Formats: sequence, structure tokens, C-alpha cells
Amino acid sequence: MTSRTTPRSDKRIDRLSRRTRRVLAVATMVGLPGMFAWSTFWMGTTAPTVVWGPISFVLIGATIVGSFVLYRYIRGRADMPGAHLDEREQQLRDRAWILSYQVLSAVVLAVVIFLGIDVFVFGRQVVVDAGLVNALVLSTAVLLPVLPAAALAWIEPDVPADF
Amino acid sequence: MVRPSQRTDPIVHNRLAVLRVERGLSRQELADALAVNYQTIGYLERNEYNPSLDLALRAAEFFGLPVEAIFSRQPFAPMSSQLYASASPGARPGEGTT
Repeated sequence: MTSRTTPRSDKRIDRLSRRTRRVLAVATMVGLPGMFAWSTFWMGTTAPTVVWGPISFVLIGATIVGSFVLYRYIRGRADMPGAHLDEREQQLRDRAWILSYQVLSAVVLAVVIFLGIDVFVFGRQVVVDAGLVNALVLSTAVLLPVLPAAALAWIEPDVPADF
Repeated sequence: MVRPSQRTDPIVHNRLAVLRVERGLSRQELADALAVNYQTIGYLERNEYNPSLDLALRAAEFFGLPVEAIFSRQPFAPMSSQLYASASPGARPGEGTT
């Protein structure tokens, strides 16, 4: 029999609405790749660094702050073996893992299709340089571990008002 | 765990809220007794989560009632209507039994 009888605290972070959590999850997942995309775009323009800096800071900040809040919100529920979770929480965690897998598969598939179209339809070349590898490695290393937390924050229903 | 109105899977109705209040228990106390998170009790009481057979049997054991007295696939009629339906018209429950 599993048990998790310690009530969650009344801190605001534990009572984030589902809408807020979903916004955070999207901001977290989009922030870092967005920063790389913005930097790539910026390098092709003549815009000064003072324009690049704040926007990059906001984008990377979204991932950093979002990751912290999401991890704090799920507090190990999405990435632990589950001995301390009750049956409802385990079901929720399993759904989050499934959603994470689906999102990851969809992203990989979308990238492959996009590159395929770019190369075979438009005849462009994909240049795998240090910048691209750096962006891919960093995004994967940062976002992949956050994905289950974001998925759980995305699907968990709102805590009812009578709690 | 969506709202009952949005669900497509069968809903298992229950009397946990009535039984809990009847025995003067808080959600946390019932959660401790059933070894679940206190929020799970809330989701159960609002029919937003169907319990496993194990949890349903634990609840039945805890309340000392048959499992079908607590859980049902059909909505339960209100206790008051059940009590007054069994009494004769105009009589209060328990009257006329002497």
C-alpha cells in the first residue's frame, strides 16, 4: 500500500492555477530555443547589442525561472519512482510521462520533416556548425529533464477552492 | 481527473463526503486512514477520480460498511429523500415503529 499523507503546503506556488502553469510550461520550453533562434536572427541584422541583450535575457530568463517554478511545483512527483505517491498521483505521473514522450516524439518528427522539406524541396543545405550543436546540446540538456515536470504541471487539475 | 461534466469514462459515485462529515472527520484524517493524499479525498468526493478496487475496499473497511453502500455506478439518492421515502406520509423517520 502506498501512502502520501503529508499535505501540500499553502504556499502560492503550490496553488498555481492550471492556466498559469500552462503558460509557465510553454514559456519554459520555448524560452531557451527562442533565445538561440533570436540570436541567430539578430546576427543577420545590423541591430545593436543593446537590442539583443534584453530580449535574450527575457527569453533565457523564462526558461530558468519557469524550470525553477515547475520543479518547485511538482516537487519530485514527476521524476521519482513513486513510492510516496498515492494511486491518483501515480496515474497522473504516468499520464505526464506519456505526454512527455508524445511531445518529444512530435518535436523530433517536426524537426525531421522541416529539415526534409528544406533540403529536398527547397534544395537548401543544413550546416551543422558549432553554434547549432551548442544550441541543440544545451536545449536538450536543459529542456529534456524539465519536460516531465512541464507535462505534469500542464495536466494536473486545479486544486478546488474548498481546500 | 477532469470535471464530471467533461468525462467520457464511467463515473463511480460515492458517499464519502456524507460518511466523512457524519463521523466528524477532516479530509486529512480520512486521507491518513486510507493512506492517500488529502487532495485525493477531495477529488473522490467530487467524483473527479474513480478509486481502485483496493482503495474502495479500504474505504469500506474503514467505515465498516459494504462497498456497495459507499460506491455505486448509479448516482445515490439524497439521504434525506431515502429516509423520508421509507417513512409514512407526514411521519418523521423512526415514528410508528413502536
